[in-house]
Amino acid sequence: MADLLSTAVSALSAYNRGLATTSHNIANVATEGYSRQRVLYGTREAQAFGNGWLGSGVNATSIERVYDQFLGLQYRTTTSAFGRQEVFAALAGRVGALFADAETGVGAALQRFTNAVQDVAAAPTSIPARQVLLAEASALAGELRNHDERLERLANEVNGRVTSVVADINGIAASLADLNERIVSARARTGQPPNDLLDERDRLLDQLSTRIAVSTVEQDDGALNVFVGTGQPLVLGPQATQLATQPDPYDPAGVRVGIATAAGFVDVTGSVSGGELGGLLDVSRQVLDPARRTLGQLAVGIAETVNARQRAGMDLTGAAGSDLFAAGDAQVLADRGNTGSATLDVTRADLTQVVAADYLLEFGGSGWSLRRADTGAVVVLTGSGTAADPLRADGLEFVVSGAASPGDGFLVRATHGAAAGMQALLTDPAAFAAALPVQAAAATGNRGSAAAAGLSVVDPANPALRNAATITFTSAGTYSIDGGPDTAYAPGTPIEYNGWRLELSGTPAAGDVFTVSSNVAGLGDNRNALGLTDALSNRTLNGGTASLADVFGRLVADVGVQSRQAQLSRDALELVQGDARAAIDSVSGVNLDEEAAKLVQLQQAYQAAAQVVRVADTLFDTLLGAIGR
Amino acid sequence: MSMRVSTAGMHAATLGLLLDAQARLARTQEQIASGRRINSPADDPIGATRIESLTREIEAGRQYMRNADAAGSRLKYEEQGLADLGGALDRVRELVLQASNATVDPDSRAMIRQEVAGRVQDMLDIANRQDGQGEYLFAGLAALTRPFERTATGVAYRGDQGQRYQAVGDTQRVADGDSGDAVFLRVPGGNGTFVTEPAAGNTGTGVIGVGNVLDATAWPGGTFTLRFVASDAWEVVDSATPTPNVVASGAYASGQAIEFAGISVEVSGQPVAGDAFTVSDAGRVGLFAALDRLVATLDSSTATPVERAQFQSRLAGDLVQLDQALGHLQQVRAGVGVRLSALDNAVATQADLETDLESLRSSIRDLDYAEAVSRLNQQFVALQAAQQSLARVGQLSLFDYL
Repeated sequence: MADLLSTAVSALSAYNRGLATTSHNIANVATEGYSRQRVLYGTREAQAFGNGWLGSGVNATSIERVYDQFLGLQYRTTTSAFGRQEVFAALAGRVGALFADAETGVGAALQRFTNAVQDVAAAPTSIPARQVLLAEASALAGELRNHDERLERLANEVNGRVTSVVADINGIAASLADLNERIVSARARTGQPPNDLLDERDRLLDQLSTRIAVSTVEQDDGALNVFVGTGQPLVLGPQATQLATQPDPYDPAGVRVGIATAAGFVDVTGSVSGGELGGLLDVSRQVLDPARRTLGQLAVGIAETVNARQRAGMDLTGAAGSDLFAAGDAQVLADRGNTGSATLDVTRADLTQVVAADYLLEFGGSGWSLRRADTGAVVVLTGSGTAADPLRADGLEFVVSGAASPGDGFLVRATHGAAAGMQALLTDPAAFAAALPVQAAAATGNRGSAAAAGLSVVDPANPALRNAATITFTSAGTYSIDGGPDTAYAPGTPIEYNGWRLELSGTPAAGDVFTVSSNVAGLGDNRNALGLTDALSNRTLNGGTASLADVFGRLVADVGVQSRQAQLSRDALELVQGDARAAIDSVSGVNLDEEAAKLVQLQQAYQAAAQVVRVADTLFDTLLGAIGR
Repeated sequence: MSMRVSTAGMHAATLGLLLDAQARLARTQEQIASGRRINSPADDPIGATRIESLTREIEAGRQYMRNADAAGSRLKYEEQGLADLGGALDRVRELVLQASNATVDPDSRAMIRQEVAGRVQDMLDIANRQDGQGEYLFAGLAALTRPFERTATGVAYRGDQGQRYQAVGDTQRVADGDSGDAVFLRVPGGNGTFVTEPAAGNTGTGVIGVGNVLDATAWPGGTFTLRFVASDAWEVVDSATPTPNVVASGAYASGQAIEFAGISVEVSGQPVAGDAFTVSDAGRVGLFAALDRLVATLDSSTATPVERAQFQSRLAGDLVQLDQALGHLQQVRAGVGVRLSALDNAVATQADLETDLESLRSSIRDLDYAEAVSRLNQQFVALQAAQQSLARVGQLSLFDYL
């Protein structure tokens, strides 16, 4: 009877644990990251008696959580990928929204400006048309500035978020290290898995994975080591290292991510990936920076194209035209670690060849080398770097002054930020140079069929440009300018003099006279304005392959493709992540019906054990009664 | 064994379906509200770029049409000016014909001269006309400079030879006017090849006609002098110095053609020995110079037969010059007409193109409402189903039966 009682009591105690565990499962049905727990039962040690072994009841040997390490790993991998894509898609979508409407924004402003130039060409003396032109120029500059500013604000927001994500990651890493310590000591104390602590750690790892991609290795003592990037440790047992942010060595507005070690800051910006942090760094590198560079290229292209025409023209007061736009200069950012005294001056010498790119110019000790900042590809430099013979590459000219030390470097941004400095300079409507400063005339007595078919300005800076010049055909095949020596005339070859170029059509006769003189009265002239509309639609950028509108069109397409791909990929990863979560849930999640069934089962077992106790009691009473009788 | 489903997982999955159905519905609603299939470059990057470039082309086309309107309006001003000018010249020509009549007495001639002078002033006013913008029509590119001005030595041209073009297509440009130089200063002289002129000191009554070109290739240009060595013999000399060469010579009969160097001229009346007439390259003459000369001719005296002969010679020259001027103006006007019709064609082309491009843009950008509304209905049903399924699943629990 003592055996009976003790066996029944062991069952009562074991099923009590089972009921408690089921109740724990039911209580945590809505707890995120909770893995259902179950009690493992084992028989108690049997007792020997003469004819065999007598069973002595049940023991709850352990309480374990139902969890699949592999599924957990899979979930975290997809979580990192999804986290990266979600941030990327959201930010790329916001950049895309900046360029969304074809009827407003930069493209439309450029078209309106071009139309305003044509309206002035249609009525060069009309002050209202010129006022509209200046207003459109100012609106175009404003749109470019505005878009760059909004991209810059996004970039600043991204940098700010990088800093706060890094702080989050550090907080989670510290908690993980703390949990490691508690898990190790709990295991050591009982030899049993501390299920809720393990769940807590997995939950933290899941949270960490939404912020950065990690890899993990579990130690024998139950601690989990966490690594980021290409194997940089974030958590080692009870120790957490700190991620840190630093300003970019070239650009104080830029941010670098690294690991703070005893030896100093180890830059891991290029190697961390995944999660919110990876998404932020990627969107900055792959969307924001290229968009700002291309916008800058567009600004520079517009400013240079318009200004070159302005300088070659004559305004409504008869004066030479002056610059209509100012775009930001090429940026030079010295490495804060430079030890030499060298300074660098960069100019965009050949707009056609200028690429929307950033470069690193580095001094190796004996000479300078140039590479692309984004791809690292080496760019061939020519020249020596003096003012007379600047270093040249990709349409840029670099003039170095002072002495550089080996290892010194500069970040050169050909077009980045140029849109931020875009300004419309003219305020006087008369200052738009619709006219050319020179005009050509054929003498009334000319007998040949030659006519002045085209006159253009090739060197606006020539001081004699507007001096009157007389071209006299001394014979049908030779001419003399201002009584100078005879020059052979080849039909179809233009005559160049004093910075202008005159094309004749037809055949001149001996004695024919043409004059080129100042066009100071030619206020109705629109030749320069027409030339400007042509120049605005010509393919002058990217080595002569793209017009201004093309550059903008490509920007819209690039941003659109990036944000669309990011969205599609985000949606796909969301499904994958959902599947991974479902896989974990199907193993570890609590099913209330299941728990209800278990509850019934355990309750019955408990009641049965209680009945055994009563039977033992009855047996005992029976025995006592027999003795007492 | 079938897959185990956790209670929270089931709830999350059903909720996820519900949220997805809502998101799809919201997107369709956005499309229907905006009427556009593409609301962001991400919706269709290729399409968005096409829309961008089509919008640019449409805008450029509209600008070309505006340019064509501006050019057309200016050309119509010019055409009106040329028509008025032609009318005035026609009247002057009539008056000259009246004046050439031998029976016209000096008083009538003075009245004719008066009216001619008035018409010349009218023509000067026309030449200085402005368009709606206040630009002078016939000043070339010097559009704000009053182009024609009477000076002590005649009417001076202050404009230039420039011509302004308007872009009315990607490569098509149309001039929106003609310079005063081209309209007023480039009238072919005489009969278009040469002009005849009696010498001032002639004492006979010989009258020279305007002449004909027999063989344009044989006309060498330069100046020839037809002089009478006797009252019945002539010779033609060139302008070689110091000794002119005799090119042709012959006996004189009144009204008989004198031929040399590929041309023929007629002298009638009775010249005397020593009388001379020059025959020289026509070149280009100014309309106002020609008109001034006409007025001077009308002013000249016809009291004596010699003076009368001079008058007749000069008036014949003036008349042919007027005909040349009328022909020249007609040519200019025909050119304006050609340009106006080119503008009409350009506008029609651009309008067609605009319609095509807009329908293309619409096919890329705009929503197919029928499809979208049917999609909306489907998605609405899907959302309802998801909602009902969530509500039903939540009601099932074994605990209800314990």
